[in-house]
Amino acid sequence: MKKNLSRRDFLKLGTAASAALAAGKFIPPSVAQAAREAGQLNAAGDGYIPSMCEMCVWRCGLLAKVKDGRVVKLEGNPEHPHSRGNLCPRGQSGLMNTYDPDRVLSPLIRVGKRGEGRFRKASWEEALDLTASQMLNIKNTYGPEAMVFSSTHNLSQVQFENLLYAFGSPNYGTQRSLCFNAMITAFLLTYGIEEPGREYDNVEYILMVGRNLMEAISTSETSQLSQAIDRGAKLVYLDPRYTKTASKASEWIPIRPGTDAAFLLAMINVIVSNELADCDFVRQYVLGCDDIQEAMSSYTPQWAEQITGVPAADIERIAREYAAARHNALAHPGWRTSNFTNSFQTERAIATLNALSGNVFTPGGCLSADVTAEDTGLGRIPQPAYPRISALRLDGTPWKYPLVPLKLGVFQELRDAIITGQPYQAHGWFISRQNPILSLPDRSKTLQAFNKMDFIVTVDIIMNDTAWFSDVILPEASYLERYDPLVSLEGKAYLRQPVVEAQGEAKSALWIYKQLGERLGLGDYFQYADEEDYIRQQLVPLNTSLEETRAKGYAVLPAVEKPEGYVFNTASGKIEVYSETLANAGFSPWPTWEEPPRPSEGEFYLLTGKVAQQTQFGTQNNQLLHKYSDEPRLWMNTKTAASLNLNDGDWVEVTSKVGGVHIKLLATEAIRPDCVYLTPGYGHLSKGLTTAFGIGASDSVLHETYTDPISGGQALTQTFVKVKKA
Amino acid sequence: MSQIKHHAYIFDATRCIDCRACMVACSVENQIPMDKTRIWVAGLGVMGEFPNLTRASMVYHCMHCEHPDCMSACPVGAYHKREDGPVIYNPEVCIGCRYCMNACPFGVPHFDYDKGLIEGAFIDKCTFCPQRIDIGQEPACVATCPTDALVYGDRDELLKIAHERIAAHPDRYINHVYGEFENGGTSYLILSHVPFEQLGLPTLPETPVNAVSEQVMGITIPFALSWGAVLAGVTAGVGLYHKLKDNQDASAPDGTAEDEK
Repeated sequence: MKKNLSRRDFLKLGTAASAALAAGKFIPPSVAQAAREAGQLNAAGDGYIPSMCEMCVWRCGLLAKVKDGRVVKLEGNPEHPHSRGNLCPRGQSGLMNTYDPDRVLSPLIRVGKRGEGRFRKASWEEALDLTASQMLNIKNTYGPEAMVFSSTHNLSQVQFENLLYAFGSPNYGTQRSLCFNAMITAFLLTYGIEEPGREYDNVEYILMVGRNLMEAISTSETSQLSQAIDRGAKLVYLDPRYTKTASKASEWIPIRPGTDAAFLLAMINVIVSNELADCDFVRQYVLGCDDIQEAMSSYTPQWAEQITGVPAADIERIAREYAAARHNALAHPGWRTSNFTNSFQTERAIATLNALSGNVFTPGGCLSADVTAEDTGLGRIPQPAYPRISALRLDGTPWKYPLVPLKLGVFQELRDAIITGQPYQAHGWFISRQNPILSLPDRSKTLQAFNKMDFIVTVDIIMNDTAWFSDVILPEASYLERYDPLVSLEGKAYLRQPVVEAQGEAKSALWIYKQLGERLGLGDYFQYADEEDYIRQQLVPLNTSLEETRAKGYAVLPAVEKPEGYVFNTASGKIEVYSETLANAGFSPWPTWEEPPRPSEGEFYLLTGKVAQQTQFGTQNNQLLHKYSDEPRLWMNTKTAASLNLNDGDWVEVTSKVGGVHIKLLATEAIRPDCVYLTPGYGHLSKGLTTAFGIGASDSVLHETYTDPISGGQALTQTFVKVKKA
Repeated sequence: MSQIKHHAYIFDATRCIDCRACMVACSVENQIPMDKTRIWVAGLGVMGEFPNLTRASMVYHCMHCEHPDCMSACPVGAYHKREDGPVIYNPEVCIGCRYCMNACPFGVPHFDYDKGLIEGAFIDKCTFCPQRIDIGQEPACVATCPTDALVYGDRDELLKIAHERIAAHPDRYINHVYGEFENGGTSYLILSHVPFEQLGLPTLPETPVNAVSEQVMGITIPFALSWGAVLAGVTAGVGLYHKLKDNQDASAPDGTAEDEK
């Protein structure tokens, strides 16, 4: 029987055909068909498909329950070490990112003024051609360094970096300097490792400096901490705010902001001057063990009491308790450590405390080097060498910031260099899955930097604030709709795979970067036919098929023999509590005290932090998370509020040197009287975010830009604000 | 997991971090509309004066009572208590009278005022996820809890675990398992570090509130029907009596005639 095509069917066919032409070999087999073949879906199309969460960077394993081609529920994958069967509220809400009514589902090209929010739909062909021609224009006119690239931690970042290095630009902005530069730089310099693992199995005494794990949930680590507390481990928690972690701690110390290092240095003083450290370990592994007593001699608990406001007796007691727990003590390295320009010293003191307890890399010890690199054991996609880059990095690494690792960079400095045009002017900005308008300090400056640009292109799944101010928006498939490169973790390579078909015209980042690469004449750097071919190439050394990996959600990595003993990857091969590298760069070789500025009369420290229901600046438009989030308000101590004649629920005006916002007040006992707190990620500018727009205020409007000269970290808490009735 | 004879869960307030993963999981699993919820967080949050503070919150949903007041208050039998624990609500039968809302000592059933009397399915509450527990899965709220504040299992075993936890850390817990005996026992058992009323839980006697009504309400309909039958009989009897009387009066030889005289 001859089948009659209606006009509608014909149009659909036409779209599919032209998309197929545009996409080359990139039309993936039907997701449902593949899942059926893998035995995951039954004949009716219902079942579970294993994949990975992307609601934060912890990347839990998930099982997506699929029914009639839609995700109806996400479960934690019991087989994944990061989820162990659980998902946090963000993980549970993940499907609403995919089904967000505000999804951008076709490429968009700006038609109105920048920031006006007027766009027209375009084909991929047109949007990619326009983007490539603009990028080439900038390259040919000003050199490749005039293109700035920025992206935040994600699995396809390796191909994002590939695009930028192949293009030849040194200018790479990541979230890192706004987050963990202090922690990573300190541990690299002290241990030669970026971020040591934390072992909770034997932990008896935990010291946490603002590591709010009960709200900044990393599912497995939060669970391990909870179990340790339940078992009776002691948790000493330093934070000016009574967070949910503080409420679970054995001891909460509401320390004065910016003075954590003084507290920790005094602990070191007590431990070394009373010879409470693990002497055998220290003598064998620590550089500086002979002189540390002398170097720390001025940091007495009495001295620290003056600075921190914590009684000397408490500091002394905690130091002795910590030392008594030996290698069952853990001074948590922390995560977001962008608080003050002295946060690097705080982290150095934490690194030192761990070394003194002998908990590092020893059997049963609480700090480990057993961290798998993300590409361990995986096949690589062949590519030519990158072009040599001679231009200076705009963010000052390393010519201005000699010790900041290149992969971390100094994002806020990059933004400032765009404004000043020094040492040269940038003209284009390629942004992928990042929202610098909300994340960088001092939003008005960031908007100024955007205005300096000839061309801005953003890859995202929704119209975030940065997309709103862009010239071209390339719609990415959500994490439930696409493949990403495999990632290694604890002996297995885990797979993110599509569990449903991508909606509209949305495409994976792997596809987008390859398409752009080819149009930029860089096709040799993208030697994969499609996403599945990419993963097949990664699987080559593992003797397994993509089909099997899809079915299980992971592939087993070949066993790696662990070397006997451990040599630290530092210049001396030891833990460098005393660092020659720091001395040579003109900084203190010892962990040291640097007095941070204090607020003047009538000013408050502006604290930032995390809530369990949101991730940074990208999840506020998720309707499920919105439903279960507290209204973002400015926290202020009840008595302070009363002294200012402010009541709970009043609208207040908050001002810093660089900006002001209006927000409702939350009068609470859970914060120091000299501090106020604002949950980040609210106060969106994009009207394309219909759920999040109009909610709360942005702390990036208030944040002043201060950079730690050693780690390059932004000092977010070094902004002081005034508060009055609005 | 061993064979579960009586489905139950423990909520341990010392472990809850108020992250609300349970609330989201419930909403997605049971396709709850965006403006409704079957789980909420009760409790006072932060208590005390800076810096001497405590915090307590409770994941609040149906207690799945052993003697459900909702069920005994319901005039149409929209509720029933499964032998293995869960208290089930049937929207098909519900007439929206809201007696259950008044009867529940925990304030659990809630009325959908938007749908009101037009669409039916007026009342909503936690179902214990029968679609999951009947195929061997944990309820959605329990399965996702990152700190094991919620634990699912057999009621007898969970009671044992609850008492073991108190015995292991007497300094940490109030020495009481809320729900073991309250209101005749519940299938949701609560452990806490703060007095239970601070978690928003009512102080209840061990004898179920509905000890009397439960039995009486169980026979409401038969009773109503039989009373109706009695009344109908009486009505019929009275009618018959009048009919007979009228006939008698009509046939009386000198009734009205005498009066007219």
